[in-house]
Amino acid sequence: MKAKATRLVTLTVVGIALAGCAPSTGAGGNSSAAGDQGNGQGTVKMVLWPGPEGDAMSKVVAAYNAGQGQKDKVKVDMALLSRQDTFSKESTLMAAKSSQQDIYFVATYNVGQFANALDPLTSVDASNYFPVAVDGLKYQGKQFALPLDVSNHFLLYRKDLLDKLLSSKSQWPAYEAVATKAIGEKRDPKPADQWDWNDYIAMSAWFSKSANPTSPTQYGTILQAKNLLFNTMIWDDVLWGEGGSWTTPDGKANLNTPQALKAVNVYSTIYKNGWTSKDSSQAEFPETQAALKAGSAAFALQWSAGFAELNDPAKSPQVAGKIAIAPVPGQKTHVHALAVALNKYSDNKAAATKFLNYLATTDAMTAYAKAGGIPAMPSVLKANASINPAFDKIAESIDKYGYSEPVFPNTFQAYSKLAEVLSGAWVGQQDGAAALKDANDELQKLLG
Amino acid sequence: MSSTANISTRTPDQLGASRAKAADNSTGKTPGPHRSKHRRLWWTTLAVGVVAVIVNVPWFNALIVSFKSDGDISRGALALGHPTTDHYANSLGAAGYDFPRFFLNSGMIALGAVALVLLIAVPSTYAAIRLGFGGRFIMNASSALRLLPAIFFAVPYFLLMSNLGLLDTVPGLILANTFLNLPLAIILLGAGFRDVPIELEEAAQVDGASTYRILYSVLLPILAPTLVAVSVLVFIFSWNDYLFALVLSSSNATPITLGAANFVTSTGIRWGDISAATVLSTLPPVLFAVFAQRFLVSGLSAGAVKG
Amino acid sequence: MAATTASRGAAAKWVLGSPLILFAAIFVAYPVYQGIQTGFFGLSLQNPEVPFTGLSNFTTVLTDPGFLAAARFTILFALAVTALETVLGFGLALLMNRQFPGKRVFFTMLLVPIMIAPALMGVMFRLLLNGDIGLVPALLHGVGIDISLFAPDTVVPLLVLLDVLQWTPFTFLIIYAGLQSFPTDVLEAAQIDGAGWWRTLGSVVLPIMRPIIFAAVFLRLIDAIRTFDVIYVLTAGGPGTKTTTMSIYIYKTAFESGQFGMAAAASTIVMIALVPFVPLLVKRIVHPGRGAA
Repeated sequence: MKAKATRLVTLTVVGIALAGCAPSTGAGGNSSAAGDQGNGQGTVKMVLWPGPEGDAMSKVVAAYNAGQGQKDKVKVDMALLSRQDTFSKESTLMAAKSSQQDIYFVATYNVGQFANALDPLTSVDASNYFPVAVDGLKYQGKQFALPLDVSNHFLLYRKDLLDKLLSSKSQWPAYEAVATKAIGEKRDPKPADQWDWNDYIAMSAWFSKSANPTSPTQYGTILQAKNLLFNTMIWDDVLWGEGGSWTTPDGKANLNTPQALKAVNVYSTIYKNGWTSKDSSQAEFPETQAALKAGSAAFALQWSAGFAELNDPAKSPQVAGKIAIAPVPGQKTHVHALAVALNKYSDNKAAATKFLNYLATTDAMTAYAKAGGIPAMPSVLKANASINPAFDKIAESIDKYGYSEPVFPNTFQAYSKLAEVLSGAWVGQQDGAAALKDANDELQKLLG
Repeated sequence: MSSTANISTRTPDQLGASRAKAADNSTGKTPGPHRSKHRRLWWTTLAVGVVAVIVNVPWFNALIVSFKSDGDISRGALALGHPTTDHYANSLGAAGYDFPRFFLNSGMIALGAVALVLLIAVPSTYAAIRLGFGGRFIMNASSALRLLPAIFFAVPYFLLMSNLGLLDTVPGLILANTFLNLPLAIILLGAGFRDVPIELEEAAQVDGASTYRILYSVLLPILAPTLVAVSVLVFIFSWNDYLFALVLSSSNATPITLGAANFVTSTGIRWGDISAATVLSTLPPVLFAVFAQRFLVSGLSAGAVKG
Repeated sequence: MAATTASRGAAAKWVLGSPLILFAAIFVAYPVYQGIQTGFFGLSLQNPEVPFTGLSNFTTVLTDPGFLAAARFTILFALAVTALETVLGFGLALLMNRQFPGKRVFFTMLLVPIMIAPALMGVMFRLLLNGDIGLVPALLHGVGIDISLFAPDTVVPLLVLLDVLQWTPFTFLIIYAGLQSFPTDVLEAAQIDGAGWWRTLGSVVLPIMRPIIFAAVFLRLIDAIRTFDVIYVLTAGGPGTKTTTMSIYIYKTAFESGQFGMAAAASTIVMIALVPFVPLLVKRIVHPGRGAA
């Protein structure tokens, strides 16, 4: 029986090898190899992910369908998936060259990988947007997606606790002692917007019960050290803040550097000393929110979208009103744009383009901001600062400190790979230098 | 070995007779065992109860969290605060997702898959075990198939359903779940058919029954517990399917698992909402199991009422 | 075995087998063919051409230390959880195999863990075990135990424990259903004859139950080898690649790297590597205690 099974497998393998024909990928039916403009009318299908972006977009879509869409004779039909699955689903559709969806949800970090399945956009007026948002969605000189939402990081910190430390000089000698132990250098406490990464480490120690029994919080910070591509983006802030970068100016991998090692050590020092919960080896956005809300950590690097909830008394009764925003220590923050793009294999491109043009208007983006999104248009953010106190800071931060990783076909994979290779070193499971060497080799491979 | 094999393959009548004998023995040789037996039963209740509670800690936790407000959830597990039903409202549609439809889709998909799996697996496994249809190859091949990660089939199934016009339809997902669960059914039914004494079939054959009749009126009743176990598992696994649903549905055929995942958002997990959705999503399979259990337990109760 | 039944309608086997043939022809053969074939091509999102790459995907996967580490972790994990779940499931089935007060309620309760979709179960565990808002750390803290469940040293045992919590009900159900065709009086008769409980278990119950236990082991094992959702949600395979299972490796290869050809090759390798073991186990389910038929 075993022989029979083996024979069958062998036969199949040989058969395939001999056949030598490519797997068929055309998703049959009405789809053609390169899509179709269509008649410019009818239903346009779009994928987005749930959360503030999806919620805001559903209001914009409803407004469009009730207003401009009537004139355009276009109806937009939006499907939401979960955060992790949106891109998985889109990958499957793209690999199958499907025409099922007309507009895809993409981001700076995967537009390079998805570009082959997208049509470049020709009519985007870049001047309305943050330059870093528009540029991050370019691939090989062409604009592949329309910016929707911007994401960057902030230092979110307990203003009440830090202010108290800053104002009670009697505590400073104790702080200096803790700082000396933590970073080998005597330092006074500083306001949050003046921190560098050493201040971050010293403060983590100060606000941890293990280093300072009088600390009001259990841990100083919570690191997002899970093996997850989004966590590479956060660590990149540290990398840039310490003077490192992914690549050299001529595009070679550049992670095997003293700066990168310093950046890894920021994480591993905090983790190994217990100035963040040991559970932060599996932490990401939700765990960080939970720790800040529960008051178990005094500060953390967090995505801009996390702030509003932390200051909402209904959702964060213990800390609302006490959390403030500062630029990321080292004054460098990752920025990416979430965006919408046109499926190359869509059958209804003309209609989809009508809706994309609508989304590019300040009116549509104002509606988007009012419904909870963070549009990538500085003018809209400034005009609507009353909606979300973070809007001003976002506009300022992206302007002054915004930074983005290089876009190449394997960028998305590179984020994952770096998280995979480095997450062990972040939590002291592996030697930092060795992990960085591996990371550098992997990155070089992906850069091609 | 052969003697034990005989024991396991006695006919129901023989079972009844030997049961009666065992009961006689027990009353004859062990005087007054009632009280200690009674106590032992309560110990069993306690032991099983503890296990049942432990394995359900995640579910109970979800139940508690689903009634807590977002603010109370953030204050920690032991802070209860004022109960709210908001999360249930959200997971029944108030959040803007069409949850009643998700539930309906899941129900149709799971029931459809159970029916189709049984329809395919019962006759063919019988043919394989007893009539030499495909021999052991059927069993081996289905087992090998289940070794492949579901992701392997993502793109092929997308293309297949696309070509058949079954993307984003309930029948498409019924077929996909049938595919996923056939190996399980064939393996379990294979073991079940193997256990039934061939003498029973031979006797029926002598009486002039056709193969189909033997299968239908002799074997199926005997195999009822196995059929029920298979149905329960196929129902549960189809109800729980996530990856195929992700790939094959986009809005019309979205099941509850995918719908609940909407609460995993780009700005965190909506713990209360997803807990409520999880609690609700277990209710239909529980009902199915309660209904099916009558058949599972009845096989036992006849012999266990002594003492 | 077929000798006595071969005389019965040779036509019947084709009639009874036809639904499977029909289904397999469309819904099994094509996707399997398509999937295996994909492994021989450089199908990726980055490259719109789909070049024939022969065995290069296979050699790339087989020489990737990441894949080999994932294979090692997966096999050890699967063996550990299957062993634990089979023993516990069997014990539970024996315990349940009698009438006692509350039996029906508990029976249903025991099945609830497998009714929670693994994708949701992962999220529920994440909530239950969270250091700030989770019930388990809060209770442990309440009795004076402060441990970090997700620390790199405890995460693997934690994942094993969670799998056991969720899937013991599965082995229990299969074994319990099998026990129902087993005459309970044999057990009692053996006891009355003076055989001890353990001896009865070893010499009477286990031999009879062997096929069904093998079925439970086998089904659980092949599902455990494909473990994905709970681990992916909780650790995404980390820290580093410490908890990366083969399914996580393949998922990331396809969906994060966009390398569908490579992912198909990795899946095929997994299948081919494990296929030789299949007949050994199947034989024990279908023909227990007899030689190869």
